[in-house]
Amino acid sequence: MVEVDATTKARILVVDDSSLVRLYYRSTLERAGFEVEQAINGIEAMERVLSQPIDLVIVDINMPRMDGFTFLRALRCGPSDISSLPALVVSTESEMQDIAEARASGANFYLIKPVAEAELVRHVCVLTGVSL
Amino acid sequence: MPLIRGGRGSVAPGATPPPVLEDSDAESRWAAARALAGKADAVPELAAALRRETVPRVREAILTALIRTGGSASAEAIVPFLRSEDAGLRAAVIDALQALPSAITPMIAQLFSDPESDVRLLATELARNLKASDATRLLCDLIEHEPHPNVCAAAIEVLAEVGTPEALPVLERCSVRFSSTPFLPFAISIAIARISGAEG
Amino acid sequence: MDDREERGSRAVRISSEELERFCDFLYRRTGLSFSESKRYFIDRRLEERIAATGSPSFQAYFSLLRADADHEIEFLINSFTVNETYFYREDHQLRCMTSSLLGAIVEQRPPGSTLRIWSIPCATGEEPYSIALWLMENWPQVDNYNVEIVGSDIDTRALRAAAEGIYGDRALMRLSRGIVDRYFKPVADGKHEIDEGLRNSIEFTRANVIDPKDMARYRDFDLIFCRNVLIYFDDASRRQAAENLYDCLRPGGYICLGHSESMSRISPLFRVCRFPDAIVYQRPEADHG
Repeated sequence: MVEVDATTKARILVVDDSSLVRLYYRSTLERAGFEVEQAINGIEAMERVLSQPIDLVIVDINMPRMDGFTFLRALRCGPSDISSLPALVVSTESEMQDIAEARASGANFYLIKPVAEAELVRHVCVLTGVSL
Repeated sequence: MPLIRGGRGSVAPGATPPPVLEDSDAESRWAAARALAGKADAVPELAAALRRETVPRVREAILTALIRTGGSASAEAIVPFLRSEDAGLRAAVIDALQALPSAITPMIAQLFSDPESDVRLLATELARNLKASDATRLLCDLIEHEPHPNVCAAAIEVLAEVGTPEALPVLERCSVRFSSTPFLPFAISIAIARISGAEG
Repeated sequence: MDDREERGSRAVRISSEELERFCDFLYRRTGLSFSESKRYFIDRRLEERIAATGSPSFQAYFSLLRADADHEIEFLINSFTVNETYFYREDHQLRCMTSSLLGAIVEQRPPGSTLRIWSIPCATGEEPYSIALWLMENWPQVDNYNVEIVGSDIDTRALRAAAEGIYGDRALMRLSRGIVDRYFKPVADGKHEIDEGLRNSIEFTRANVIDPKDMARYRDFDLIFCRNVLIYFDDASRRQAAENLYDCLRPGGYICLGHSESMSRISPLFRVCRFPDAIVYQRPEADHG
């Protein structure tokens, strides 16, 4: 008899234009008990956070149509139910200026790709206040 | 009845001064860019405007104007902006280049050997527009010589969609090279499954 | 082996990896995504399109699809979405119009001002007439303003039908008995003709949303319904259409897309706005650097 955990730990929105990256985050985080939604760029991400409760956004920088920094700035200027949403930037960009810009745009934390599964889960737990 | 049959709105052609690309007013620059769409001799002017433009919607209009002109001159005018430090401009440029598939095709091999890894990474997206066999060949060449895991990851992403069985040995070798790098083994296994699972 | 068996044995089978490739492509291109439970639904439609294009394999079909040969994207999307037109279709957007959008628009507008609403494409007129009906029935302030409703389409035959305003039962299926009685009269063949006053209050015009010359003749709209057309366009055309629509809107004006469409697949020009009844998009009031 399988015990079903009725409460998931938190709902994470994964924003990346790479389908394989999204799949990687989703399989990792679902295994750790999180619920995962996805978006392909900053515009879709905005639609998601506005239409359903999200506890953490994991966001890439280089995406078509709306990049991660632009999304973060729009998020921080958005309605009060989303403007303080924790945001974890996971990006290929590794220069100090990119990390500084992420901070300035409102990111809570910054990881450089490629990210190991354990590292991802650890940071998601910290940012959602969930303990494994 | 409150519903009235009206006209099309206030259109007063010729009443306002012609819009200018160098104007301090964004609306004027927007209108100027739109008016230059499809004009081959405006390509250098539009490229220069793109260099200085900070308002995102005007950038979009400049890029659309270049796309409407099309051809290698437009593609060549846009490509240098892949190197921009501005993530928004890079996003806009990749979008724009996607709309110029035939013009960009001859440039892809060159972009894949660009000295900057960021440029190589962004350029992988452009291979999606190619025929499966051409995309596979170019992406495999890239992967075989590519030291940067994130560039390989980007190439693998595109191969997962368009790759043909020719890619399989290249992906296997890549998997060995990056066996202890996060994410790469996962991405490669998916790409291999997708390519092998394609029956036709 | 009889005909049926032969056909069955030649039918293209789609592997789960091929389905994943296809779903990733569809999601990337259109935003449409399906849960595991919808697998059979996707399989069926994909098989139909493979057969309809005479493709010998999924791979051959997928190459065709990626190249958008013969407008295959349009046929594919149509097979995945419901495209029937009828009155009060996607009424949550009409509700949003009267509950939220118009209020925001008229906040700075004195009584007696003009509001302009555009339905493009309007096809055979169900959408612009629905807008008119909904406003009369649901907007308490409708008498305080002049409302101009324009319906445009590229198809002149559809426009002629729209101007005639004659509809069958299916088109009216979402309308209450009361509304049908108040605004329609029965005509031949069991159809209904919409009230003459309403017919005369909508301006029907021919316009192509991609054509900048066509679109330059339209300005100062407060609200545009542009449903189920942008998602079909290729990269160059959707950019052009989005810029055209931007210019046709007043700053602060709103645009509504079809319910399975998203600006994330179309253009970054518009702001995402959430209201209780719908997510709509807005031309920003001012530029930001």
